[in-house]
Amino acid sequence: MKRRGSGAHGFAFFLFVAAFFVLRQAEAIEHNVAGSAQLDYHFVPTERDANANAGTFSTFDGFTVEAAMKLSVDVSPHLSGNVKVCFGCHGFEADMFYFDLRAVDELNLRIGRFSPSFGSFNLRHDPANHKFSDKPLPYDMGRMLRKNIWGNGVLPAPFPDNGAEIDGTHFFGDAAQMDYAAYAVMGFRNDQPNPTDLNFQEAHVPNYFVDNNARPAVGARLALTLRASAATDATVGVSGMFGTYDPNNDLTYAIAGADLAVRVQRTNFRAEVLARRTQFDTSNPAIFKYALSPADGDFFMKDGAYIEAEQPIVRDLDFLARIDGMLRMGNVLATTPLSDKSSVVRESLGLAYAVERNFRLKTSGELWQFSDRDPETGRRLEVGIHLGAVATF
Amino acid sequence: MHFATLALAFFAVVLTGCPDAKTEGLDPNALPESQRADYAIFAERCSKCHSLSRPLNAGITDDAYWAMYVARMRRQPGSGISESDEVAVLRFLHYYSSEQKDAVQRKNKDVVDTIADGGAP
Repeated sequence: MKRRGSGAHGFAFFLFVAAFFVLRQAEAIEHNVAGSAQLDYHFVPTERDANANAGTFSTFDGFTVEAAMKLSVDVSPHLSGNVKVCFGCHGFEADMFYFDLRAVDELNLRIGRFSPSFGSFNLRHDPANHKFSDKPLPYDMGRMLRKNIWGNGVLPAPFPDNGAEIDGTHFFGDAAQMDYAAYAVMGFRNDQPNPTDLNFQEAHVPNYFVDNNARPAVGARLALTLRASAATDATVGVSGMFGTYDPNNDLTYAIAGADLAVRVQRTNFRAEVLARRTQFDTSNPAIFKYALSPADGDFFMKDGAYIEAEQPIVRDLDFLARIDGMLRMGNVLATTPLSDKSSVVRESLGLAYAVERNFRLKTSGELWQFSDRDPETGRRLEVGIHLGAVATF
Repeated sequence: MHFATLALAFFAVVLTGCPDAKTEGLDPNALPESQRADYAIFAERCSKCHSLSRPLNAGITDDAYWAMYVARMRRQPGSGISESDEVAVLRFLHYYSSEQKDAVQRKNKDVVDTIADGGAP
């Protein structure tokens, strides 16, 4: 297994390097290379003795790094490609490798590996494009406290997958823009016996080249952007995704989301709500904490939401505020401290300072409120502090 | 820290904040008067999804490539970059990349002149 993973890391990196050097020789093809790297130190004084090793339910405190390189190629006005290799918790991985074949603005075919259109955070998932060090909880991919108990967010971002998407955009003059997307991708997976949740790690290396079942997951998004003035606009969108995640195509998941983003000059307000319904395997009732209900006892709901705001204070300094949380309802494994109705709420305040054009410092403080006590410390409240830096080119 | 505190802190900053600040961009006052309106549109639209350092440091100097690049950005979901915005953004990027090219040529000429004069580059 480890050898397969190493091969996948190497293949992703090889693809990027090969594409880059081929394009350097083909001067007629326009290409652009961009990259970013974020180093973040997460200090959690209330979880001093916890560790983030596999099998525990704590957090990745201490230093973490997320880095990415992206190659964008415009072969012609109708054909473009993107290759992105990222490096993080999963090692090197092809986060994007797709082509866009566009007839008109309103009709584009995307094929390859990409994060399908869902929600508004998807476009800003790179740490260079969001001003807090970490992602909103519904999109968290391993940075949250007690991450193993919670199984990360509702839809950890990015969520690259292999498949095809038809999308497009239409402008109604300067006043409005409408976007749509519909896609079929491999979908999330869990190949373990008695699966009880999506296994997001299986969507990454070393397994992401092949599907675990023959049925694609499907989804769609619709969004409308309205401009009130030259410096004021608002976007509202709805998204949905449905698929099966086990090898036998028996267990379904459905994710729905709604988002709102308002921009008044440089002040940004954003809000999103996500809800996921996940069926689980009930063939072994002994693994659950509660007796299985004969009616609707084979699924759980995991919902999440965030609201955040960014406000420039002076030219190079932004003030940030965010409230996010998740609610999980339904049966749980007997081994977890979660109950049949568990929640977490986080409140954060932060600053982002642009030292120069390509280098930004980030800091934030956060207060966590869990409904369930930590079985080791007995705590419900936790405090975290982020110190980070992100550079781009 | 509760919601009311958080909201109060944010709105206090909004009231005392600097709504026209364009972080990580150029100083509009350092631009020629004729470029400021186009730059304002560029800064407003392009900073919606990413840092302005992305386009400003892209190193692109060819107008035809800028046209494809900006068209690709315009088609991003919720970009808010209308076709009339695209024209203004391209005008500014033409000015900016021309200035960058001139700066590189001036720097190269200085190095050559220094070497020709027998000095270290």
